[in-house]
Amino acid sequence: MKHLLFALAACASLITAPARADMVEEILGQQILPGMQALADSSHRLAQAAELICRPGASPLRRAYREAFDNWIRVSHLRFGPTETDNRAFALAFWPDSRGKTPKTLVRHMRAADPALLTPEGFAQSSIAGRGFYALEFMYFDPDFSAARPTEYRCALVAAMARDIATNAAAIHQDWRDSYAQQMRNGTGRYTDKTEVKQELYKALNTGLQLLADMRLGRPLGTFDRPRPKRAEAWRSGRSQHHILLSLQSLRPLALALADDNAPLRAHLEAVFDKAIARATALDDPRLSGVSNPAKRLRIEALQQEVNDLRALIESELGPSLGVLAGFNSLDGD
Amino acid sequence: MTTRRGFLSGLLATGLAPQASWADLGAPALLSAARAADGSYLLAGLSADGALRFTCPLPGRGHAAAAHPQRPEAVAFARRPGRFADVIDCRSGAYLTRLEPPAGHHFYGHGVFTPDGRQLFTTENDYETGRGVIGVWSAKGAYHRTSSFASGGIGPHDMLLRRHNNSTELVVANGGIATHPDSGRAKLNLAEMRPNLSVLSLSGDLRDRMELGPDLQLNSIRHLALAKDGTIGFAMQWQGDIGADVPIVGLYSSGTSPRLMAEEDPRLRNLQGYGGSVAFTPDGSRVAVTSPRGGVVQVMNCASTAMLHEHHLQDVCGLAPAATGLAPAAPGLPPAATGLLASTGTGLIFALNGTQLAALNQQDLAWDNHLIPLG
Repeated sequence: MKHLLFALAACASLITAPARADMVEEILGQQILPGMQALADSSHRLAQAAELICRPGASPLRRAYREAFDNWIRVSHLRFGPTETDNRAFALAFWPDSRGKTPKTLVRHMRAADPALLTPEGFAQSSIAGRGFYALEFMYFDPDFSAARPTEYRCALVAAMARDIATNAAAIHQDWRDSYAQQMRNGTGRYTDKTEVKQELYKALNTGLQLLADMRLGRPLGTFDRPRPKRAEAWRSGRSQHHILLSLQSLRPLALALADDNAPLRAHLEAVFDKAIARATALDDPRLSGVSNPAKRLRIEALQQEVNDLRALIESELGPSLGVLAGFNSLDGD
Repeated sequence: MTTRRGFLSGLLATGLAPQASWADLGAPALLSAARAADGSYLLAGLSADGALRFTCPLPGRGHAAAAHPQRPEAVAFARRPGRFADVIDCRSGAYLTRLEPPAGHHFYGHGVFTPDGRQLFTTENDYETGRGVIGVWSAKGAYHRTSSFASGGIGPHDMLLRRHNNSTELVVANGGIATHPDSGRAKLNLAEMRPNLSVLSLSGDLRDRMELGPDLQLNSIRHLALAKDGTIGFAMQWQGDIGADVPIVGLYSSGTSPRLMAEEDPRLRNLQGYGGSVAFTPDGSRVAVTSPRGGVVQVMNCASTAMLHEHHLQDVCGLAPAATGLAPAAPGLPPAATGLLASTGTGLIFALNGTQLAALNQQDLAWDNHLIPLG
């Protein structure tokens, strides 16, 4: 009888728990829209700074670059809708670059020194590998490019690259603000209903965690016998570890919002994210060069394992509540 | 006692049965394996617009199937490493017979009949030697093994029959990956793998072989499609580093260099290195690939190799040309010359045409890897 009462009480508390704000509304209002706005605003400031300042080491320019790149990483898991139109996200972030297309493209640009490339239209039509934050990183942080001559052309090219980033970021933000957020709120347009909207957001969470485990951590880790430190993301600017933290910090609220009013799951997710964030902070290895050092490598591998555990937890606990089952075909593979 | 199975196959064998045909089943256009909501497995026939025509139970998870060109019979292959393939009378769901490869072989999941329906070819692994084998079966009456020959490589997976220059030949995707049933699907030879596309005569003479360059040695050639002009479309699965930029679809015509599709398009990354199925549009102008891992279908222009469209569909894998002559799949969709059908693990059948996408049918089934056109 005591058990029954307890069970009844538990049910009652579930029913009377204060209703959380609508999940999709919360994610749009507190994460996506402010995130896209911050990306657009900081990219605009970067373009302004690059117009005025050419010296790659100048601190206002570095700050502007850092802020805009940070804001991109914070939303880099939201790969659907406005980011995919006209390959905007690829134009902002061509990474990983397994074939070294980015430096090759930049060398070509510098050699040709074609004035037509410096117009917004001309640049927008150029190879995606030579655009965006990762290409700009070469121009600012790689000695082969940061001092490349002719100086005048380099300065103008870098300004064109920054302007292109600002244009793309503004276009993404505008689409979100003008139409895409509304489609998601109502479950219309690309979506047949609200369930599909939630599944899209769930997929974005998985995209972010997969990118983190397989690319941001997995690519530099390589194998024990063959670590690949030069594959770390944005190592030239010492941002590799920082990107890991930024992505964990922006995936955490998304996961929690998707867990909705499942309090035990929220608590579980919070604990696992916090542990991973603490571990990522403690790496103290900005370029992840520690992948080549057995002791430091172990800590990076442990972080990767934690992220993979998080993926498994999300797939088994969160997916089903959103109507997403493990893929019948995607897991089969043949 | 005469079992139903024995009775039926006996009738078929002696030719006394009334001429049974696929028309008895409402002329299905496609076959697909599936998992039902209760966890059981089945083989289904679908109409050209994605409606369910029949289902037959399967003893385990299927992969692909081969349809007899005249008799309403299908050979349903078990999921790799498959020890059997069941021949099913699709009218009744009755199990007619079971094909078992010789000792030391297992099926890879694909097979094909000759147009006259007299012979069946199956892709197999001779797993102690690691040699790829094509099994040859007589399908005239009672099925029986008649011979076998080398597939031209390791790990043959998909196989198609091509009528070309007045002869009929087999096109085999030798994936290059050695496996052994003792270690499940573990890949045993990645360092040395050499996938190829082999064209064989029906008696096993190697007529042509295509290999890609050394930088693509880790790109396993797995699935095939044929255009009307005989061009072979192939889809690959990348076994190298995650995050490498590699082509997943290529086209090949004998005597020419293979053409890799959409190589410079960053959206290739959305396939996550995995081509699940490949198909041409009925007019042969476009080739498409699915990736269940990426949840995308990508459509490419055969002439220019450029990527034309990308559709996002959860757990999509099966892909087939839209039937020619099929009316527009949905209001507003253009006719089907450039159309495709796709199936998903969530039970949906979609029509794709250009940028347009329409759900045709939904079942409480998980559609398995492939949509196999009949006829």
